[in-house]
Amino acid sequence: MSKIVVDFGLCEANGVCMGIIPEVFDLDDNDYLHVLQDDVTPENEEQIRESVRQCPRQAISIKD
Amino acid sequence: MEAPVTKPKLVFNPVSKDYFDNPYEIYQRMRDEAPIYYDEQEDFYALTRHADVAAALKDHESFSSSRGCDLAMVRSDERPQKSIIFMDPPDHRFMRSLLNKAFTPRAIQSQRETVIELVEHYLSKVDPDHFDVVQDFSGPFPVEVITRMAGVPEEFRQQVRHWIDLGLHKEPGQLGISEENMQAHMDSGIYYYGLVQERRENPQDDMIGRLITAEIPGPDGEMRKLDDIEITGFLALLGGAGAETVTKLVGSAVVEFARHPEQWQLLLDDRSRVPDAVEELLRYVGPVQYNVRYTLKDAELPNGTVPAGKPVFLMKAAANRDPRAYDDAETFDITRDKSQAQNLGLGYGIHSCLGAALARMETQIALEHLLDFMPRYEVDFARLERVNMQNVAGYHHVPVKVLR
Repeated sequence: MSKIVVDFGLCEANGVCMGIIPEVFDLDDNDYLHVLQDDVTPENEEQIRESVRQCPRQAISIKD
Repeated sequence: MEAPVTKPKLVFNPVSKDYFDNPYEIYQRMRDEAPIYYDEQEDFYALTRHADVAAALKDHESFSSSRGCDLAMVRSDERPQKSIIFMDPPDHRFMRSLLNKAFTPRAIQSQRETVIELVEHYLSKVDPDHFDVVQDFSGPFPVEVITRMAGVPEEFRQQVRHWIDLGLHKEPGQLGISEENMQAHMDSGIYYYGLVQERRENPQDDMIGRLITAEIPGPDGEMRKLDDIEITGFLALLGGAGAETVTKLVGSAVVEFARHPEQWQLLLDDRSRVPDAVEELLRYVGPVQYNVRYTLKDAELPNGTVPAGKPVFLMKAAANRDPRAYDDAETFDITRDKSQAQNLGLGYGIHSCLGAALARMETQIALEHLLDFMPRYEVDFARLERVNMQNVAGYHHVPVKVLR
Protein backbone atom coordinates (compact mmCIF):
# COMPACT_ATOMS: atom_id res chain seq x y z
CA MET A 1 0.00 0.00 0.00
CA SER A 2 1.22 3.52 -0.78
CA LYS A 3 2.43 5.55 2.19
CA ILE A 4 2.65 9.25 2.97
CA VAL A 5 6.17 10.55 3.52
CA VAL A 6 6.85 13.97 5.04
CA ASP A 7 10.24 15.65 4.86
CA PHE A 8 10.29 17.37 8.24
CA GLY A 9 13.35 19.33 7.26
CA LEU A 10 11.28 21.02 4.57
CA CYS A 11 7.97 21.33 6.45
CA GLU A 12 7.43 24.83 7.82
CA ALA A 13 4.05 24.26 9.42
CA ASN A 14 1.98 26.16 6.89
CA GLY A 15 -0.89 23.82 7.61
CA VAL A 16 -2.18 23.68 4.05
CA CYS A 17 -2.37 19.88 4.22
CA MET A 18 -4.31 20.00 7.48
CA GLY A 19 -6.75 22.38 5.80
CA ILE A 20 -7.30 19.86 3.02
CA ILE A 21 -7.53 16.67 5.08
CA PRO A 22 -7.38 17.10 8.88
CA GLU A 23 -8.07 13.39 9.38
CA VAL A 24 -4.57 12.69 8.05
CA PHE A 25 -2.47 15.77 8.82
CA ASP A 26 -2.47 17.50 12.18
CA LEU A 27 -0.38 20.49 13.24
CA ASP A 28 0.13 20.72 16.97
CA ASP A 29 0.58 23.83 19.10
CA ASN A 30 4.34 23.61 18.71
CA ASP A 31 4.08 23.70 14.93
CA TYR A 32 4.96 20.04 14.67
CA LEU A 33 3.16 18.14 11.93
CA HIS A 34 1.75 14.73 12.81
CA VAL A 35 0.71 12.25 10.18
CA LEU A 36 -2.24 10.64 11.95
CA GLN A 37 -2.30 7.73 9.58
CA ASP A 38 0.11 7.27 6.72
CA ASP A 39 -1.78 4.83 4.48
CA VAL A 40 -3.02 6.14 1.16
CA THR A 41 -6.45 4.60 0.69
CA PRO A 42 -8.96 4.91 -2.17
CA GLU A 43 -11.03 7.13 0.17
CA ASN A 44 -8.31 9.65 1.00
CA GLU A 45 -6.08 9.39 -2.06
CA GLU A 46 -7.49 12.37 -3.92
CA GLN A 47 -7.14 14.71 -0.94
CA ILE A 48 -3.67 13.45 -0.15
CA ARG A 49 -2.56 14.05 -3.72
CA GLU A 50 -4.06 17.52 -3.43
CA SER A 51 -2.01 18.07 -0.26
CA VAL A 52 1.14 16.93 -2.04
CA ARG A 53 0.47 19.39 -4.84
CA GLN A 54 -0.57 22.31 -2.66
CA CYS A 55 2.18 22.07 -0.06
CA PRO A 56 4.15 25.26 -0.67
CA ARG A 57 7.29 23.55 0.60
CA GLN A 58 6.90 20.33 -1.39
CA ALA A 59 7.49 18.52 1.86
CA ILE A 60 4.92 15.77 1.28
CA SER A 61 5.30 12.82 -1.06
CA ILE A 62 3.74 9.44 -1.64
CA LYS A 63 5.91 6.34 -1.58
CA ASP A 64 4.67 3.25 -3.35
CA MET B 1 2.86 25.97 -39.50
CA GLU B 2 1.99 29.42 -40.80
CA ALA B 3 2.88 32.44 -38.73
CA PRO B 4 0.99 35.70 -39.22
CA VAL B 5 3.40 37.97 -41.05
CA THR B 6 2.26 41.14 -39.31
CA LYS B 7 3.28 39.99 -35.85
CA PRO B 8 6.56 41.51 -34.66
CA LYS B 9 9.27 39.11 -33.57
CA LEU B 10 8.74 38.08 -29.98
CA VAL B 11 11.39 39.71 -27.82
CA PHE B 12 11.24 39.67 -24.04
CA ASN B 13 13.28 42.54 -22.67
CA PRO B 14 13.11 42.50 -18.85
CA VAL B 15 14.14 46.16 -18.64
CA SER B 16 12.14 47.74 -21.47
CA LYS B 17 9.69 50.51 -20.76
CA ASP B 18 6.89 48.52 -22.45
CA TYR B 19 7.51 45.62 -20.10
CA PHE B 20 7.57 47.82 -17.00
CA ASP B 21 4.30 49.47 -18.12
CA ASN B 22 2.48 46.24 -18.88
CA PRO B 23 4.18 42.92 -18.19
CA TYR B 24 1.09 40.81 -18.88
CA GLU B 25 0.87 41.41 -22.62
CA ILE B 26 4.25 39.91 -23.37
CA TYR B 27 3.58 37.02 -20.95
CA GLN B 28 0.60 35.95 -23.03
CA ARG B 29 2.65 35.92 -26.22
CA MET B 30 5.50 34.06 -24.58
CA ARG B 31 3.18 31.38 -23.16
CA ASP B 32 1.51 30.90 -26.55
CA GLU B 33 4.38 31.34 -28.97
CA ALA B 34 7.54 30.46 -27.08
CA PRO B 35 6.95 28.49 -23.87
CA ILE B 36 10.67 27.73 -23.65
CA TYR B 37 11.72 31.22 -24.70
CA TYR B 38 15.32 31.70 -25.78
CA ASP B 39 16.83 35.12 -26.18
CA GLU B 40 19.63 34.85 -28.74
CA GLN B 41 21.00 38.29 -28.14
CA GLU B 42 21.26 38.07 -24.36
CA ASP B 43 21.66 34.28 -24.20
CA PHE B 44 19.02 33.48 -21.58
CA TYR B 45 15.90 31.32 -21.36
CA ALA B 46 12.50 32.22 -19.89
CA LEU B 47 9.65 29.94 -18.79
CA THR B 48 6.09 31.27 -18.67
CA ARG B 49 3.69 28.30 -18.63
CA HIS B 50 2.53 27.15 -15.23
CA ALA B 51 3.57 23.54 -15.77
CA ASP B 52 7.12 24.53 -16.72
CA VAL B 53 7.63 27.15 -14.02
CA ALA B 54 6.28 24.83 -11.30
CA ALA B 55 8.46 21.97 -12.55
CA ALA B 56 11.56 24.20 -12.60
CA LEU B 57 10.87 25.47 -9.08
CA LYS B 58 10.67 21.85 -7.91
CA ASP B 59 13.87 20.84 -9.68
CA HIS B 60 16.44 22.75 -7.66
CA GLU B 61 19.13 20.24 -8.67
CA SER B 62 18.95 21.48 -12.26
CA PHE B 63 17.86 25.06 -11.62
CA SER B 64 20.43 26.42 -9.20
CA SER B 65 20.18 29.58 -7.14
CA SER B 66 23.86 29.59 -6.22
CA ARG B 67 24.86 32.14 -8.84
CA GLY B 68 22.15 34.59 -7.80
CA CYS B 69 18.54 35.25 -8.76
CA ASP B 70 18.94 38.10 -11.21
CA LEU B 71 20.37 38.10 -14.72
CA ALA B 72 23.21 40.49 -13.89
CA MET B 73 24.24 38.36 -10.92
CA VAL B 74 23.98 35.02 -12.71
CA ARG B 75 26.19 36.33 -15.51
CA SER B 76 28.75 37.87 -13.20
CA ASP B 77 32.01 36.06 -12.54
CA GLU B 78 31.74 37.01 -8.89
CA ARG B 79 29.91 34.67 -6.54
CA PRO B 80 26.96 36.36 -4.84
CA GLN B 81 27.01 37.31 -1.18
CA LYS B 82 26.19 34.56 1.28
CA SER B 83 22.41 34.75 1.52
CA ILE B 84 19.79 32.00 1.63
CA ILE B 85 18.20 33.07 -1.64
CA PHE B 86 21.55 32.45 -3.33
CA MET B 87 22.07 28.95 -1.95
CA ASP B 88 21.27 25.38 -2.91
CA PRO B 89 20.82 22.47 -0.51
CA PRO B 90 22.30 21.48 1.85
CA ASP B 91 23.57 24.96 2.87
CA HIS B 92 20.19 26.45 2.11
CA ARG B 93 18.44 24.09 4.49
CA PHE B 94 20.77 24.88 7.39
CA MET B 95 20.42 28.62 6.97
CA ARG B 96 16.68 28.61 6.44
CA SER B 97 16.12 26.47 9.52
CA LEU B 98 17.62 29.23 11.66
CA LEU B 99 14.64 31.52 11.20
CA ASN B 100 11.78 29.58 9.66
CA LYS B 101 10.14 28.79 12.98
CA ALA B 102 9.60 32.52 13.52
CA PHE B 103 7.49 32.82 10.39
CA THR B 104 4.99 29.96 10.65
CA PRO B 105 1.31 30.95 10.52
CA ARG B 106 1.08 30.28 14.26
CA ALA B 107 4.27 32.12 15.18
CA ILE B 108 3.44 35.29 13.29
CA GLN B 109 0.19 35.64 15.23
CA SER B 110 2.40 37.37 17.80
CA GLN B 111 2.77 40.20 15.26
CA ARG B 112 -0.97 40.69 14.72
CA GLU B 113 -1.40 43.49 17.24
CA THR B 114 1.67 45.29 15.92
CA VAL B 115 0.37 45.11 12.36
CA ILE B 116 -3.07 46.40 13.35
CA GLU B 117 -1.53 49.24 15.35
CA LEU B 118 0.70 50.31 12.46
CA VAL B 119 -2.07 50.03 9.87
CA GLU B 120 -4.35 52.17 12.03
CA HIS B 121 -1.56 54.64 12.74
CA TYR B 122 -0.73 55.30 9.09
CA LEU B 123 -4.38 55.39 7.99
CA SER B 124 -5.18 57.91 10.73
CA LYS B 125 -2.61 60.30 9.27
CA VAL B 126 -3.88 60.41 5.65
CA ASP B 127 -6.18 63.00 4.13
CA PRO B 128 -9.21 61.03 2.83
CA ASP B 129 -9.76 63.57 0.04
CA HIS B 130 -6.34 63.06 -1.39
CA PHE B 131 -3.71 60.53 -0.42
CA ASP B 132 -1.27 58.13 -1.96
CA VAL B 133 -1.94 54.54 -0.94
CA VAL B 134 1.67 53.49 -1.58
CA GLN B 135 3.62 56.46 -0.25
CA ASP B 136 1.38 57.19 2.73
CA PHE B 137 0.24 53.70 3.70
CA SER B 138 1.47 50.48 2.08
CA GLY B 139 5.07 51.75 1.89
CA PRO B 140 5.60 52.75 5.52
CA PHE B 141 3.81 49.98 7.46
CA PRO B 142 5.27 46.61 6.30
CA VAL B 143 8.87 47.76 6.69
CA GLU B 144 8.14 48.72 10.29
CA VAL B 145 6.85 45.21 11.03
CA ILE B 146 9.74 43.24 9.57
CA THR B 147 12.55 45.52 10.74
CA ARG B 148 11.09 45.49 14.23
CA MET B 149 11.07 41.69 14.18
CA ALA B 150 14.64 41.73 12.91
CA GLY B 151 15.81 44.15 15.59
CA VAL B 152 16.49 47.35 13.65
CA PRO B 153 16.15 50.43 15.90
CA GLU B 154 13.08 52.52 15.21
CA GLU B 155 14.86 55.55 13.78
CA PHE B 156 16.38 53.48 10.94
CA ARG B 157 13.33 51.45 9.95
CA GLN B 158 11.98 53.74 7.24
CA GLN B 159 15.49 54.23 5.85
CA VAL B 160 15.53 50.51 5.07
CA ARG B 161 12.77 50.83 2.49
CA HIS B 162 14.49 53.70 0.69
CA TRP B 163 17.63 51.56 0.38
CA ILE B 164 15.53 48.74 -1.04
CA ASP B 165 13.84 50.99 -3.60
CA LEU B 166 17.17 52.46 -4.72
CA GLY B 167 18.78 49.02 -4.83
CA LEU B 168 16.08 47.50 -7.06
CA HIS B 169 15.44 50.44 -9.36
CA LYS B 170 16.21 49.95 -13.07
CA GLU B 171 16.26 52.61 -15.72
CA PRO B 172 14.63 51.40 -18.93
CA GLY B 173 17.37 49.58 -20.84
CA GLN B 174 19.55 48.98 -17.79
CA LEU B 175 20.30 45.27 -17.56
CA GLY B 176 23.30 45.54 -15.25
CA ILE B 177 23.74 47.00 -11.79
CA SER B 178 23.98 50.79 -11.69
CA GLU B 179 26.16 52.84 -9.39
CA GLU B 180 23.04 53.96 -7.56
CA ASN B 181 21.98 50.31 -7.02
CA MET B 182 25.46 49.45 -5.80
CA GLN B 183 25.61 52.44 -3.47
CA ALA B 184 22.27 51.49 -1.87
CA HIS B 185 23.45 47.89 -1.34
CA MET B 186 26.69 49.17 0.17
CA ASP B 187 24.97 51.69 2.43
CA SER B 188 22.50 49.15 3.79
CA GLY B 189 25.26 46.53 4.12
CA ILE B 190 27.48 48.90 6.08
CA TYR B 191 24.56 49.82 8.31
CA TYR B 192 23.59 46.20 9.09
CA TYR B 193 27.22 45.20 9.55
CA GLY B 194 27.65 47.91 12.17
CA LEU B 195 24.42 46.89 13.83
CA VAL B 196 25.54 43.25 14.08
CA GLN B 197 28.82 44.25 15.67
CA GLU B 198 27.03 46.48 18.14
CA ARG B 199 24.65 43.66 19.04
CA ARG B 200 27.48 41.23 19.61
CA GLU B 201 28.37 43.58 22.46
CA ASN B 202 24.77 44.17 23.60
CA PRO B 203 22.64 41.21 22.56
CA GLN B 204 18.84 41.61 22.40
CA ASP B 205 15.96 39.20 22.04
CA ASP B 206 15.31 39.60 18.31
CA MET B 207 16.35 37.97 15.05
CA ILE B 208 19.79 39.55 15.06
CA GLY B 209 20.28 38.08 18.52
CA ARG B 210 19.12 34.68 17.34
CA LEU B 211 21.41 34.73 14.30
CA ILE B 212 24.39 35.74 16.45
CA THR B 213 23.96 32.70 18.72
CA ALA B 214 22.86 30.26 16.00
CA GLU B 215 25.06 27.43 14.81
CA ILE B 216 25.15 25.60 11.50
CA PRO B 217 27.24 22.64 10.30
CA GLY B 218 30.46 23.77 8.62
CA PRO B 219 32.19 22.07 5.69
CA ASP B 220 34.04 19.72 8.08
CA GLY B 221 30.77 18.73 9.75
CA GLU B 222 31.61 20.68 12.92
CA MET B 223 29.09 23.21 14.13
CA ARG B 224 30.06 26.82 13.61
CA LYS B 225 28.59 30.27 14.23
CA LEU B 226 27.61 32.68 11.48
CA ASP B 227 30.04 35.44 10.63
CA ASP B 228 29.14 39.14 10.45
CA ILE B 229 28.82 39.05 6.65
CA GLU B 230 26.39 36.14 6.76
CA ILE B 231 24.20 37.86 9.34
CA THR B 232 24.38 41.11 7.37
CA GLY B 233 23.21 39.28 4.25
CA PHE B 234 20.35 37.69 6.13
CA LEU B 235 19.19 41.03 7.53
CA ALA B 236 19.39 42.78 4.17
CA LEU B 237 17.28 40.01 2.67
CA LEU B 238 14.67 40.11 5.44
CA GLY B 239 14.35 43.88 5.18
CA GLY B 240 14.00 43.76 1.41
CA ALA B 241 11.77 40.74 0.95
CA GLY B 242 9.65 41.60 3.97
CA ALA B 243 8.84 45.16 3.04
CA GLU B 244 8.53 46.18 -0.58
CA THR B 245 6.51 43.11 -1.55
CA VAL B 246 3.48 43.79 0.65
CA THR B 247 3.88 47.47 -0.25
CA LYS B 248 3.31 46.58 -3.89
CA LEU B 249 0.61 43.99 -3.28
CA VAL B 250 -1.55 46.42 -1.31
CA GLY B 251 -0.97 49.21 -3.85
CA SER B 252 -1.99 46.91 -6.69
CA ALA B 253 -4.97 45.70 -4.67
CA VAL B 254 -6.40 49.21 -4.43
CA VAL B 255 -5.93 49.67 -8.19
CA GLU B 256 -7.52 46.33 -9.12
CA PHE B 257 -10.49 46.80 -6.81
CA ALA B 258 -11.07 50.23 -8.36
CA ARG B 259 -11.08 48.56 -11.77
CA HIS B 260 -13.39 45.81 -10.50
CA PRO B 261 -15.80 47.52 -8.07
CA GLU B 262 -18.07 44.47 -8.04
CA GLN B 263 -15.22 42.51 -6.44
CA TRP B 264 -14.79 45.22 -3.77
CA GLN B 265 -18.51 45.01 -3.15
CA LEU B 266 -18.20 41.27 -2.56
CA LEU B 267 -15.72 42.06 0.22
CA LEU B 268 -17.86 44.82 1.67
CA ASP B 269 -20.76 42.38 1.83
CA ASP B 270 -18.75 39.51 3.26
CA ARG B 271 -15.49 40.11 5.09
CA SER B 272 -14.83 36.39 5.32
CA ARG B 273 -13.78 36.61 1.68
CA VAL B 274 -10.72 38.73 2.52
CA PRO B 275 -8.27 35.78 2.69
CA ASP B 276 -9.48 34.54 -0.71
CA ALA B 277 -9.07 38.06 -2.06
CA VAL B 278 -5.45 38.07 -0.92
CA GLU B 279 -4.83 34.76 -2.70
CA GLU B 280 -6.36 36.11 -5.89
CA LEU B 281 -4.28 39.29 -5.65
CA LEU B 282 -1.16 37.16 -5.26
CA ARG B 283 -2.14 35.27 -8.39
CA TYR B 284 -3.34 38.18 -10.49
CA VAL B 285 -0.99 41.02 -9.51
CA GLY B 286 1.60 39.36 -7.28
CA PRO B 287 4.62 41.67 -7.05
CA VAL B 288 7.31 39.10 -7.85
CA GLN B 289 7.44 38.70 -11.61
CA TYR B 290 10.29 36.21 -11.83
CA ASN B 291 13.43 34.81 -10.29
CA VAL B 292 16.41 33.80 -12.35
CA ARG B 293 18.13 30.43 -11.95
CA TYR B 294 21.17 28.87 -13.61
CA THR B 295 20.99 25.41 -15.13
CA LEU B 296 23.62 23.04 -13.76
CA LYS B 297 22.57 20.36 -16.28
CA ASP B 298 20.19 19.87 -19.19
CA ALA B 299 16.72 20.19 -17.72
CA GLU B 300 13.66 18.42 -19.09
CA LEU B 301 10.39 20.31 -18.65
CA PRO B 302 6.82 19.50 -19.71
CA ASN B 303 7.13 21.76 -22.77
CA GLY B 304 10.76 21.31 -23.74
CA THR B 305 14.38 21.27 -22.65
CA VAL B 306 16.69 23.94 -21.28
CA PRO B 307 20.37 23.21 -21.86
CA ALA B 308 22.98 23.30 -19.11
CA GLY B 309 24.85 26.48 -18.25
CA LYS B 310 22.14 29.05 -19.03
CA PRO B 311 20.36 31.76 -17.03
CA VAL B 312 16.63 30.96 -16.91
CA PHE B 313 13.84 33.33 -15.92
CA LEU B 314 11.16 31.47 -13.96
CA MET B 315 8.24 33.79 -14.65
CA LYS B 316 5.84 33.18 -11.80
CA ALA B 317 3.59 36.10 -12.68
CA ALA B 318 3.18 34.73 -16.20
CA ALA B 319 2.49 31.22 -14.91
CA ASN B 320 -0.14 32.56 -12.54
CA ARG B 321 -2.18 33.78 -15.52
CA ASP B 322 -1.70 30.69 -17.66
CA PRO B 323 -5.08 29.65 -19.11
CA ARG B 324 -3.73 26.09 -19.27
CA ALA B 325 -3.73 26.12 -15.44
CA TYR B 326 -6.71 28.34 -14.58
CA ASP B 327 -10.15 28.95 -16.03
CA ASP B 328 -10.49 32.58 -17.14
CA ALA B 329 -6.91 33.13 -16.07
CA GLU B 330 -6.89 36.79 -17.14
CA THR B 331 -9.96 37.57 -15.03
CA PHE B 332 -9.68 39.02 -11.53
CA ASP B 333 -12.09 36.91 -9.51
CA ILE B 334 -11.79 36.57 -5.74
CA THR B 335 -14.30 33.71 -5.76
CA ARG B 336 -12.29 31.46 -8.07
CA ASP B 337 -11.49 27.83 -7.32
CA LYS B 338 -8.06 28.09 -5.69
CA SER B 339 -7.39 24.39 -5.98
CA GLN B 340 -7.11 24.49 -9.78
CA ALA B 341 -3.38 25.09 -9.67
CA GLN B 342 -0.63 25.98 -7.22
CA ASN B 343 -0.50 29.74 -6.77
CA LEU B 344 3.10 30.72 -7.52
CA GLY B 345 2.76 34.25 -6.15
CA LEU B 346 4.85 33.39 -3.10
CA GLY B 347 7.01 30.89 -4.93
CA TYR B 348 6.98 27.12 -4.58
CA GLY B 349 9.42 24.61 -3.16
CA ILE B 350 12.60 25.07 -1.18
CA HIS B 351 12.89 28.81 -1.89
CA SER B 352 9.20 29.59 -1.38
CA CYS B 353 8.63 32.79 0.54
CA LEU B 354 9.85 32.51 4.14
CA GLY B 355 7.49 35.29 5.19
CA ALA B 356 4.43 34.02 3.31
CA ALA B 357 2.19 33.83 6.36
CA LEU B 358 3.26 37.30 7.52
CA ALA B 359 2.67 38.74 4.04
CA ARG B 360 -0.81 37.22 3.98
CA MET B 361 -1.65 38.50 7.44
CA GLU B 362 -0.40 42.02 6.71
CA THR B 363 -2.32 42.20 3.45
CA GLN B 364 -5.49 40.85 5.05
CA ILE B 365 -5.34 43.36 7.89
CA ALA B 366 -4.62 46.18 5.43
CA LEU B 367 -7.62 45.21 3.29
CA GLU B 368 -9.92 44.89 6.29
CA HIS B 369 -9.00 48.40 7.42
CA LEU B 370 -9.27 49.83 3.92
CA LEU B 371 -12.77 48.38 3.63
CA ASP B 372 -13.74 50.38 6.70
CA PHE B 373 -11.78 53.48 5.78
CA MET B 374 -12.85 53.73 2.15
CA PRO B 375 -15.89 51.61 1.33
CA ARG B 376 -16.24 53.86 -1.73
CA TYR B 377 -13.18 55.38 -3.34
CA GLU B 378 -11.77 56.40 -6.64
CA VAL B 379 -8.27 56.06 -8.03
CA ASP B 380 -6.82 58.88 -10.11
CA PHE B 381 -5.81 56.55 -12.94
CA ALA B 382 -4.15 59.33 -14.94
CA ARG B 383 -1.65 59.83 -12.14
CA LEU B 384 -0.85 56.19 -11.42
CA GLU B 385 2.87 55.57 -11.62
CA ARG B 386 4.43 52.15 -11.88
CA VAL B 387 7.82 51.20 -10.49
CA ASN B 388 10.67 50.23 -12.81
CA MET B 389 12.41 47.50 -10.90
CA GLN B 390 14.38 44.33 -11.13
CA ASN B 391 11.97 41.35 -10.89
CA VAL B 392 9.19 43.08 -8.92
CA ALA B 393 6.32 45.13 -10.29
CA GLY B 394 3.65 47.36 -8.88
CA TYR B 395 2.98 51.03 -8.31
CA HIS B 396 5.06 53.81 -6.89
CA HIS B 397 2.09 56.18 -6.70
CA VAL B 398 -1.61 55.30 -6.31
CA PRO B 399 -3.54 58.54 -5.71
CA VAL B 400 -6.90 57.90 -4.06
CA LYS B 401 -9.91 59.93 -3.01
CA VAL B 402 -12.39 58.50 -0.52
CA LEU B 403 -15.98 59.07 -1.67
CA ARG B 404 -18.55 60.11 0.90
